[in-house]
Amino acid sequence: MTTALSPYVMWLDDPSAVGNRLLGGKFGSLAEMTAARFEVPPGFGVTTAAYRHFLDSAGLAERACAVRAAAAGAELADVQRLSAEFTAALDTAPLPADLERDIRDAYAQLERRADQNDLPVAVRSSGESEDLAGASFAGQYDTFLWIRGVDDVLRHVRRCWSGMFGAAVLTYRPGSGAVDSAADLGICVGVQQMVQARAAGVMFTLDPVTGDRSKVVIEGCWGLGEGVVSGGITPSRYVVDKVTFEVIRREVARQETQFGFDPAAAGVGLVPVDDGLRDSSCLDDDQIHALAELAKRIERHRGAPQDIEWAVGGRGEVRVLQVRPETVWSHRETEQLVGERKSAVGHVLSRFAGVGVTRGRRGGDA
Amino acid sequence: MTVTDPEPTTRPAQAVPGERFASPFAVQTPPGAEGWETMYPYYALLSEERAEFEDGKFWFFDGMHNPEPLYPFDTIMTENWWVAASQMSTRVWPVPPAGGIDHRIINGYLYISPNAVTDPDEIARRAEQFAERAGHYYENWDEIYDQWVAKATDCIERLRAIRFAPLPEREPVSSVLQHTGTYSSYDLITSYQELIANLFEMGSYHFEMLNLGYGAYLTFQEFCQAAFPGITDQSLASMVSGIDILLFRPDDEVRGLAKLAVDLELTDVVLASDDPGEVLTALAGHPKGPQWIEAFEAAKDPWFWFSTGAGYTHSDRAWIDDLRLPFTALRGYVRNLLEGADIRRPLDQILAERTRITAEYRSYLPTEADQEVFDGLVELARKVFPFVENHNFYVEHWHHSLFFSKVRELGDVFVEADFLDDREDIFYLHRNEIHSALYDLCIGWATGTPARGTTYWRPEIARRKRIRDALKAHPPQPALGVPPEFITEPLTVMLWGITQESVQEWLGTGGDQGTEADNGELRGVAASAGKATGRARVIVDPEDLHLVRDGEILVCRITAPSWAPVFSRLSAAVSDVGGIMAHTAIVCREYGLPSVVGTGFATTTIRTGQLIEVDGNNGVVRVVEEDPA
Repeated sequence: MTTALSPYVMWLDDPSAVGNRLLGGKFGSLAEMTAARFEVPPGFGVTTAAYRHFLDSAGLAERACAVRAAAAGAELADVQRLSAEFTAALDTAPLPADLERDIRDAYAQLERRADQNDLPVAVRSSGESEDLAGASFAGQYDTFLWIRGVDDVLRHVRRCWSGMFGAAVLTYRPGSGAVDSAADLGICVGVQQMVQARAAGVMFTLDPVTGDRSKVVIEGCWGLGEGVVSGGITPSRYVVDKVTFEVIRREVARQETQFGFDPAAAGVGLVPVDDGLRDSSCLDDDQIHALAELAKRIERHRGAPQDIEWAVGGRGEVRVLQVRPETVWSHRETEQLVGERKSAVGHVLSRFAGVGVTRGRRGGDA
Repeated sequence: MTVTDPEPTTRPAQAVPGERFASPFAVQTPPGAEGWETMYPYYALLSEERAEFEDGKFWFFDGMHNPEPLYPFDTIMTENWWVAASQMSTRVWPVPPAGGIDHRIINGYLYISPNAVTDPDEIARRAEQFAERAGHYYENWDEIYDQWVAKATDCIERLRAIRFAPLPEREPVSSVLQHTGTYSSYDLITSYQELIANLFEMGSYHFEMLNLGYGAYLTFQEFCQAAFPGITDQSLASMVSGIDILLFRPDDEVRGLAKLAVDLELTDVVLASDDPGEVLTALAGHPKGPQWIEAFEAAKDPWFWFSTGAGYTHSDRAWIDDLRLPFTALRGYVRNLLEGADIRRPLDQILAERTRITAEYRSYLPTEADQEVFDGLVELARKVFPFVENHNFYVEHWHHSLFFSKVRELGDVFVEADFLDDREDIFYLHRNEIHSALYDLCIGWATGTPARGTTYWRPEIARRKRIRDALKAHPPQPALGVPPEFITEPLTVMLWGITQESVQEWLGTGGDQGTEADNGELRGVAASAGKATGRARVIVDPEDLHLVRDGEILVCRITAPSWAPVFSRLSAAVSDVGGIMAHTAIVCREYGLPSVVGTGFATTTIRTGQLIEVDGNNGVVRVVEEDPA
């Protein structure tokens, strides 16, 4: 589809990055956020063009399509075999020199920008297929945290490419199978400065339980947000009124362990939460307000309900890690609140007669 | 209570936590208050004949309007609405599922109990009549409200014209020369009848539109709560509440007078003394003083007919009776102005915020049809709100304060006739007893025989004072009897903040007042958003308001709007009683104070000096730290 002429590396703050499909769904959105001056950690994408250049120069492009086609509808055992064989081939294929040089240069530049050698970065896949069919592919693609040094970065870029052919991705069938499994799906790999998160999590610009659009619902925990995203840590939950920013509900969960840099493992792992923090809220009122306000601005900017990954850094600074359209309520048929059409006075008269003005739309969810 | 009763089945039921409150018949008369029943009319008392009915009902203490044991005269206010509010629900509209609100006086405290209509057929029949009658009011609301203001103002003017003067030694010759045929005794008695009739007239206007106003607001509120679960009462009120409501006017007048004092360079004089009398005397002697005094006199009437309480008891003095409160505020505003502060209420900002909030919630509704309904309900709620908010000034503040001042005038007549030592003692007589006493007075005047009242009332009043003091020392339980299954009456919910939840809350604490809540936490209605921590200042008597220090948290039975001047010193306010539309929650919000109302027990469990936290977002009050003893 795309030729190898395109750039192999594209910065999030490159003016041509906005809406550029070379960055895939996730990173494309972050480029858009960056351009709109939202606080996104700096980084670059190893583009879909780079991925294709890699496959072409290794002579694996056609085989990639064949594997994907063969996996469609195949038995799980067969998919696993196909996956194992092809990822082994990817792991040993040589990296084209020009591509390697571009990635090395870019990482060096990121180090300079952050003024830190061996800058810890997050390396994550950003697929072309993401968000295409109203499915988030959440959790299907790889994310590697706290990667330091360019050699490790290169290794994890390659792991993201192989990840495209993991059994789970090959069999992922979002919605009604709207994604054509035979399509030549490309992938971008994002390389982004790590936020050394004091707290992190996700938030929705509507109440995911009721669909109420006047709320921002924030879920967060101490440490990196991986615990919230993977579901491994019960997050604290804050329901914020989007109009007035009042915190309507606040459920603080006790947290014993958090995801963070584990020196013993020289990587990200579960480490104990400070004794004094275990029972306290991972966000203070100012941070909750800042996050809700951010969520509202992002929703307005993107014109539809969003779900957003965020982090709060050590100095309380709020960062956007990921944005994507909310996929459940946005695709559900809107249900009307009022049963019967009548005048305001009519509604009031009914209320006096003991008939509430509203039906239990939330309760009656089907 | 510790004595073993040989026949427990005949004993009135005690409170069972989680199930029921104590029977009203289980309430003991406090020592020294024996015979309290004689101060009140027979129909307001519990009785053996109606015991079964009274025992099976749910009674809650109306501390919102009557925080203290009722003075016999002041029952005129409660007796008024016993009929005037109830008849609207039962006879005038009628409100389909709601009956009247019953009253009983127990140990001098007023307990009330809403009646419900439960038969579906009966509700349907009432709904038909209600639709026609209430519909007429809603459709013609603005016009009817204009008429209402005219009626209320006229009623107040007629009240103002009523005068009480001691009977003359000799009838003026003019009565003879003009052949009036009736004389001062007749005038005295008829003026009193006119005074009482005037109260009942205003009392009737009071409820003419009130339930309908509350109902329209409640419908809007419930719609929003279904659409935006968890939306705060504060948000709802800010979409509907007006900016030019009369309850802000007295305070605005004081702000204006502060500005005038600055403009006329009178600030030294105004700040020179805490005594309003001294300040006014000094001003009178100042070259530019008279101009200020003229403006002050103009502002005073009617705007200082502003009660420091709910306006239901004579002890709630108005600003005009006690200028210390407005003058405290005046000095505060003068100082603010001298520091260069802008003391005007940011009306444009409030209005812009109201527009923004309304438009934004609307935009989050799921469908256009919902938006249409929302538009209609907001419009209707805004239409009824001027009445809902302003009736307080006309009725409770202006009329009631003026009314009590007229009763004091009559008190002077009794003092002059040697019936009483003090004009205030008249409030120890029930209004019907005053009829008798007046006739007694006229007999003495007419016959020349000393009236019996000259020896009869002094000891009786002394007895009643002792009884009332004993009653006052024993605060009432918030609720008695059997809690209802449903609470549907809109007034109960909106005005008193009595909901299924608050009843459960009270049941949880066993209805056992005077004890610390288990976890040092009280729950109530989140009346005004925000959070604050500060030292508690428990105020049960408005006379003590001057004790409030900067940054303290006011803890009271009810926050009265005329307390506005102290609000600027507070960091939060907590009350025992009241719902979101209680007379004062409105003003609390305007002042941006975190507030929790309807806690039930705040004044009896929190002590002055304790460090407390008020969470106006969630309606929780917590004792953080005992007072540094």
